[in-house]
Amino acid sequence: MRSRAALISAAVLGVLAAGFVFVLSTAEPATTRKADSPLLGKLAPPLVGADYDILDSAGQWVLVNFFATWCTPCIAEHDDLVAFSNAHALAGDAQVVSVVFSDDPDNVLAFFAENGGDWPIVLDGDGRIATDWGVARVPESYLVAPNGEVRAKIIGGIEVGKLEQLLAEAKATS
Amino acid sequence: MRAALGTAGVTLGLAGAVLGLLTIAAGLARNRLDLQRRGVASVWVVLAGAVVAAVAMEWALLSHDFSLQYVAQNHSLATPFVYTVASLWAALEGSIILWCLVLAGYAAAVVHRFRHQRDDRLVAWAVLALLAVCVFFFALMLGPANPFRTISPVPADGPGPNPLLQNHPLMAIHPPFLYLGYVGFTVPFAFAVAALVTGRLDEGWLSVTRRWTVIAWGCLTVGILLGAWWSYEVLGWGGFWAWDPVENASLLPWLTGTAYIHSVMVQERRGMLRVWNLSLLLATFSLTILGTFLTRSGVLDSVHSFTESPIGPWLLAFFGAVVATCLGLIGWRGDLLRAPGRIDSPLSREGAFLANNVLFAAFAFVVLLGTVFPLLIEAVNDDRISVGEPYFNRMVTPVALALLFLMAVAPALPWRKASTELLRTRLQWPAWGGAAALVVAVLVGARGLSPLLAFALGGFAGVAALRQLGLAARAARRAGRSPLRAITGRTNGGMVVHLGVVIVAVAFAAASSYSTSVKLRLEEGETRSVSGHEVTYLGVEQYRVGDRRVVKARVQVDGGRIYEPALTQFPNATQTIGTPSVAWGFREDVYLTLAASPEREGGPAIIGVIIEPLVSWLWIGGGIMAAGTALSVVPGAPRRRATDPAPAGDDLVAAGR
Repeated sequence: MRSRAALISAAVLGVLAAGFVFVLSTAEPATTRKADSPLLGKLAPPLVGADYDILDSAGQWVLVNFFATWCTPCIAEHDDLVAFSNAHALAGDAQVVSVVFSDDPDNVLAFFAENGGDWPIVLDGDGRIATDWGVARVPESYLVAPNGEVRAKIIGGIEVGKLEQLLAEAKATS
Repeated sequence: MRAALGTAGVTLGLAGAVLGLLTIAAGLARNRLDLQRRGVASVWVVLAGAVVAAVAMEWALLSHDFSLQYVAQNHSLATPFVYTVASLWAALEGSIILWCLVLAGYAAAVVHRFRHQRDDRLVAWAVLALLAVCVFFFALMLGPANPFRTISPVPADGPGPNPLLQNHPLMAIHPPFLYLGYVGFTVPFAFAVAALVTGRLDEGWLSVTRRWTVIAWGCLTVGILLGAWWSYEVLGWGGFWAWDPVENASLLPWLTGTAYIHSVMVQERRGMLRVWNLSLLLATFSLTILGTFLTRSGVLDSVHSFTESPIGPWLLAFFGAVVATCLGLIGWRGDLLRAPGRIDSPLSREGAFLANNVLFAAFAFVVLLGTVFPLLIEAVNDDRISVGEPYFNRMVTPVALALLFLMAVAPALPWRKASTELLRTRLQWPAWGGAAALVVAVLVGARGLSPLLAFALGGFAGVAALRQLGLAARAARRAGRSPLRAITGRTNGGMVVHLGVVIVAVAFAAASSYSTSVKLRLEEGETRSVSGHEVTYLGVEQYRVGDRRVVKARVQVDGGRIYEPALTQFPNATQTIGTPSVAWGFREDVYLTLAASPEREGGPAIIGVIIEPLVSWLWIGGGIMAAGTALSVVPGAPRRRATDPAPAGDDLVAAGR
């Protein structure tokens, strides 16, 4: 009897490929991608800088953004962060805090001077904060509720429209 | 005017492709040679359409026609000439024009090359497949990725291309090479489809496709290495490969293409692996489309930070259609075309090629899995994870080392069966080469299992390739031929490519295992020593070049030449772009960046210093690979007859035994 190996392999691969195409067609875009984190639903770890403490932000939503000036997606998302920060500055319902992830403070100051953004910057010289928060690579951001609870983790660059949507969802469920 | 011209070009190309496709189909269906010929000739119309579209866009860019949205978004009055020309491929819509131009060029080259066989049904089917691909890409330009969309009011100036893309002349040549490679795989794909449809897999078809594949492969190799070089020279982190989705997307078809170039020799010599070879060609083309989808749809996060574009769903649908067609053809024809015969001994040339293919397939699978794994996991349980360099390095290193080993052994193996005595004589020198490389590496202070293995196997494979070239030189001299014959032709050119691969592999292992990176805060005139190199900061200069503001640091290395890493502020862009400066050397590069310019005049600056061994050999090895590829398509010495020629002609009957 003739072998049917090619037919069978093609059929099996066809099923796999169909599943793969389905997964790809339903995949969400990579910006503002929500990620799992053991911190979700728990109180945010300490976040204290030279003149900032996350406890001072109680009563506000805080977007904790881990970034570095050498990271291209971080540079790309910066304008969106500025837009988000400006949009909420007046209402005072949400603010951005940037945590510097293995980068030189001078670079960071120059970066903010040139690109705008007047929110608090926390230096993390020994990487302690990044470790506490479980940051693997930048950019990563955490949305912290007014009661200090971590509500969402976002990996990859931020897109302001999606971030607003995320904030609205988080507000609706709190 | 330019918009109208461009749209006319795109419409002409699309119309030519659609009409040609239908005409060929009608000709094939009714056995009408006149229709078949007319349809095949329509390729020239498609090429004319693509040329008109490309010329219209270049004209619009060079004449600052900001009424075109593409020009308004990717060009500015102050953009220098070279980058203006290169702006054709600085963003999505323009790069589709380039894609179509290259595709139509390849299609026309195929028609020209086979002008004497234009009545052959196989050629007609191949041209039909090429035109089908043309239809898709031209349709993209009329639909979601229209490069000739106009805007009003017309802006007086634009922001220029992305600053990262106008910072180095390599950007002007890296994408065209990549496209020549990527798009070039459409030709073997078309012939594979034609072969499956007509059921003809004879030798003539095969050697023709092999050469087109080798050319596309060579261009892709050069494109990938130029991309690595560009990121090394421009991005300022001292790296050249980061397993980024965009890089992986270019590597995947390269891997399956490399596998094909090797396994096709088994088919030529022994008539085996025919369906497998076809599958590799189909997979290679499918992977180019998948790679384009992954990098253009925004489903994956990349350091290239591509945004979502409207062509994602189109590319995915096309990918689905291509895969369905390929699998359908294989399922329909595959079992009929499979050749009888089996590999006699694993210790034979064909056995080595089979192992090579298993390894390349594993390599491609590992890279594909790592690239799309985050998407799969997300689909299964809504978790988001990212797969980083450690995964790739751990998974790929053993495969790469095994491939180096095979590269040393395979050329020494005879077809059918090898004896141990034969291997001992043939591998003696290569083995000494490997041992010598290991000793030298240890003596100069190299440590660590993987890099040491890479050096030893590199020496092994390198000497094996040199031995083959030496044998070829001796044979050429005895036959009274020009010594050039020792490096031309498929086998010898292939050995030159092997030498290049060995050099790239060794350089990759050294540079990624032994680099030192520091950031120094230096006062003017201060000298610091980094891994035996004296780095002296002499001060900065600030000036304007055209529309850019540049801060350039003057840094002296080892008391000799002065290097000038810089920070550039582009107009209309918020980011500063660092330009590293590399003190290059055969032994190691001293890679300098200006991490932060002085805050006050005469103050300290922060200079990044990375010492990376053997990096320049990556580019040298790449050049040798390119040269080897070119030499291998030059006809070499007449080959010996195949020991076991494949059943020629009526394959279906032969295979049906």
